[in-house]
Amino acid sequence: MSPNGDKEMTMRMRRLLIPLFAFALVAAACGDDDDAGGDGGDGGDSRDTGRVVLMTAMEPEEVDAVQKVLDDLINSEVDYTAEVEAAGNFEEQLQIRAEGGTLDLAAVPQPGAVRQLAADGSIVALEDLGFDIDELEELFGEYFLSLGEYEGKHYGMPTNINLKSMVWYPKDDFDAAGYEVPETWDELIALSDQIVADGSSPWCVGFESEGATGWPATDWMEDLVLRTAGVEVYDQWVNHEIPFDDPAIKKAAEYFGEILFTDGYVLGGAAASADLAFGDAPGPMFQDPPGCWLHRQASFINAFFGNFAEGLEAGVDYDWFPLPPIDKDGTLFAGEFTVVGSDRPEVKDFLERFIDEAVQCAMGADEASSRISPNINVGPDCYANDILADASVVLTDALENDTGRFDASDMMPPEVNSQFWTGMIEYVRGGPSVLDKVLADIEAAWN
Amino acid sequence: MSVGANKKAGWFVKGTILVVCIIWLFPTLGVLVTSFRPAAEANTSGWWTTLTKPFDTAQWTLENYRAVLDANGFNNALLNSLAVAIPATVMPITMAAFAAYAFSWMEFRGRQVMFVLVVALMVVPLQMALIPILRLYNGGAELFGVTVFPDLDLNGTFLGIWLAHTAFGLPLATYLLRNYIGSLPSSIIESAKIDGADHFTIFTRLIVPLSVPALAAFTIFQFLWVWNDLLVAYVFLGGTRDNRVVTIALQMLSGSRGQDWHLLTAAAFVTMALPLAVFFSLQRYFVRGLTAGAVKG
Amino acid sequence: MTDGPVQQITPTEPARSGAERVLRLLGAVGVLVGLPLLVRWAFDFTKSRDANRLAIVGVAIALGVLGVFALFWLMDQIVDRLPRAWRETVRPYVFVGPALVVLSVFLIYPVVNTILISFKDRRGDRWVGLDNYEFVFTDPSMLRSLRNTAMWIVVVPAVALVVGLLFATLADRLQRGESIAKSVIFLPMAISFVGAAVTFRLIYSYRPEGFGSNVGVLNAIWTALGNEPVAWLTLRPWNNFFLMVIMIWMQTGFAMVVLSSAIKAIPDEIIEAARIDGATEWQVFRHITVPSILPTITVVTTYMVINALKVFDIVFVMGAPENNGTEVVAERMLTWFFSRQNQGYGAAVAVVLFIAVIPVMIANVRRFRAEEAIR
Repeated sequence: MSPNGDKEMTMRMRRLLIPLFAFALVAAACGDDDDAGGDGGDGGDSRDTGRVVLMTAMEPEEVDAVQKVLDDLINSEVDYTAEVEAAGNFEEQLQIRAEGGTLDLAAVPQPGAVRQLAADGSIVALEDLGFDIDELEELFGEYFLSLGEYEGKHYGMPTNINLKSMVWYPKDDFDAAGYEVPETWDELIALSDQIVADGSSPWCVGFESEGATGWPATDWMEDLVLRTAGVEVYDQWVNHEIPFDDPAIKKAAEYFGEILFTDGYVLGGAAASADLAFGDAPGPMFQDPPGCWLHRQASFINAFFGNFAEGLEAGVDYDWFPLPPIDKDGTLFAGEFTVVGSDRPEVKDFLERFIDEAVQCAMGADEASSRISPNINVGPDCYANDILADASVVLTDALENDTGRFDASDMMPPEVNSQFWTGMIEYVRGGPSVLDKVLADIEAAWN
Repeated sequence: MSVGANKKAGWFVKGTILVVCIIWLFPTLGVLVTSFRPAAEANTSGWWTTLTKPFDTAQWTLENYRAVLDANGFNNALLNSLAVAIPATVMPITMAAFAAYAFSWMEFRGRQVMFVLVVALMVVPLQMALIPILRLYNGGAELFGVTVFPDLDLNGTFLGIWLAHTAFGLPLATYLLRNYIGSLPSSIIESAKIDGADHFTIFTRLIVPLSVPALAAFTIFQFLWVWNDLLVAYVFLGGTRDNRVVTIALQMLSGSRGQDWHLLTAAAFVTMALPLAVFFSLQRYFVRGLTAGAVKG
Repeated sequence: MTDGPVQQITPTEPARSGAERVLRLLGAVGVLVGLPLLVRWAFDFTKSRDANRLAIVGVAIALGVLGVFALFWLMDQIVDRLPRAWRETVRPYVFVGPALVVLSVFLIYPVVNTILISFKDRRGDRWVGLDNYEFVFTDPSMLRSLRNTAMWIVVVPAVALVVGLLFATLADRLQRGESIAKSVIFLPMAISFVGAAVTFRLIYSYRPEGFGSNVGVLNAIWTALGNEPVAWLTLRPWNNFFLMVIMIWMQTGFAMVVLSSAIKAIPDEIIEAARIDGATEWQVFRHITVPSILPTITVVTTYMVINALKVFDIVFVMGAPENNGTEVVAERMLTWFFSRQNQGYGAAVAVVLFIAVIPVMIANVRRFRAEEAIR
């Protein structure tokens, strides 16, 4: 056979093959039914992939700690695999997943976001999943559970809580200098004056946090509103039943101003605090001698102390006291609500196990985690970290007695929240003279 | 090789180049030095202080790199990154090269309009496309009851992210390649047509070899972009242990604690290693006179 | 067999045994059926979670790379089967087809979607007409972002282009070390946006008095000169320029690489001739180099202008844009769309972005027409 003949043969075969090949491909593609198995379902139904993904905004060490607990206590017993994921830029990613329809579960820090997702129809109500609300109220307290309520149904399952009304101080130096832990606001101011007189600066404050710069200042405001106006006014403030520039709120801001603007109170000056990263702010407390003595911040800041010095011991090198009451009192806390995007059975099963005492207790046992369980049956001995254990006692008490309130800015709509941050920075930089404008601007964002 | 190009590498030239290089390197130098410093020191003193006593071994450590490479299934992430980056580079280049050739050398109706449209799409911020694409992947699309986009469940699959990256990279690729291919001497193409070659053969046998510098340049850019991408990977592939790519694994190293200089800098250098290797290996394609030979031949 | 030309004009069926033909047929059918199944299996394999990751990745890469080549080859083969009259009219569409399909689905559809949303309210439900656009052009923060963006699209491309062009020209002269020099300028492109942000936050880092010494170079130099440390990133309006420096640092490598390959394509004879005629280096540059690569300069400039229009990461990560006055259009779009959950505003800002690119496109179209006229 000549080479040409072979070539011709090949070409003819090719002519025959090509259209058939093409047809076969097309047939394969069209006839292909999704063998991943899931069928349409309602909007937002992820595929049945044998995997349950919990999306969070946690720090990496915590993700590892939680994943380990999930592997030990859940994955070992079920046929699906539960995984926890940390997302940078959490709000954006949450929105994308929820609207794109690929959300399994997400641990959302803001009740406002939970309500928004419920309004959009992207998440499933706890009642629809089969949870008994009365039982849940026993576990978490009615207030906490009600924060995730929308049009009569509950959408957010409390899965984490952290304490905010804490003032940290360098205990060893503090005691050595003869200072005493203040129990009222006046004592706190007297202590600050004392420290100034002794030649140092009492307060370290830092508000910079990239795109969320200003949030620590909102925490200050919320603590002060609770302590000057009380829980009822606080609730009105959150629900916009009183305007943001109401005299009660302004009064709280003026107390804030007392700390910020009194000469010598803030190390570096108030204006500089707007540019100081919140994670850097506690640093001077661990210098020798301390550059500052008091730092008001939530419980998670504990994990940052390792950046400043080695071998620090809780209760020895540093400790905390609750921010003292003024006219009223209250406990400010924040937390996380787990929402469900897909009503697959394994998702519900996971959530049931996740809130169970055994799992919640195990998470506290890992030192790397700063999570506190909102499940009131989880006792303080579950926590490896004494600071967390003490905080959990305060929190359980607040939940049971309804004296605790959730972070207000997290409950307001996102644009108000944003304006609140921005406004606080303006206040910090501009001083008392801009306060009225700042409050008015935030009030305007409600519309 | 040409003679003229190498004639005047005098002191002015060398000096300017040196100065610019130093300015450009300076920021990276800071990052490099910091990546070898222990956490406490990196956070408390400037990196230049180490240069005054370079042999003080107490101030150097490999711990940061060890932490980065040990972290979070790094090997797995590396493989995932490759699985995403290689096809997500080859696919847009191939499609763009064909399209660029068509826009340059083929006659068809609407080619000007189409080309301008393709290039104009460069301005679309990809964040705007994420939600619509995710919805398509997850549920398909219907228009007036007809299935326009089949429900393929591409979420979390490699094909899904390849297609997304291809789409985001096509406008620039087409733009660059069309510019290059369009500037090739028309005499080459004319003579090939006279010889009886069809467009496909001209493209594969003639245009592609001649376009190697432009193809190499775009390969580098696209590979870098995909390799360093975080957002698209997170949205379409997710951050679970199996699926995460290198950028996500490294982001999870330091979370929102943007002050962990020692870890962030080590992570930045680790991610750079492979793209730089790609760059160096493709460098040799930027060779003078590739088309000069073709004109003569 | 007989001679060639006869063979080509009238191919004759070579004699084959019946068994051979059956085998060949079976083989063909096997491939026909097996290949799509293989592709399907490979695709599913890449979705599996238990298999060896290396294997999955290998299969995935093979699938992706071979798939796209096969696609084009296949389509071209199909076109070849069409009646002769249709072939050359259909073929261009086959060449641009895949690109256009991908772009329509993944970019054009979202653009249309966005334009529609820009006329709706914050949740994308009700129509609100031009209200969102009114906001875009009256809100102080938006106006600032428009002003800032205008600065970005002028400063960044100009500086990057000039530096890139000069560097490419000079480096072209080097006998040795050209690779290294170009790699140094290109290095920042290999660093992701996150890495670049880390780098420059380290440089611009600020700590007030008492919070420890400054780890940032700029403040270290500044305080060494006897001043108080400065929070560079909040210093209006100079903070905008500090941010632009970051983009210039990153993008000049792109300009340089592309311009470099264009410069290398200039035929040596022309340059040689000019030099022989006594032209100085500067004259060669101005009258020969630059005009020859003008199309490429346009391309590079266009890309950089569009990139500067789209800048988001740098501005967002380096501090609070609204507080610092560093807002830019793309950042506003994403802040309103995602952080503040107002789809209407976000989409309207996006449309402004789309419109802003029109002048750039017009310039490009003019250039194409000029080019094609010459050809």
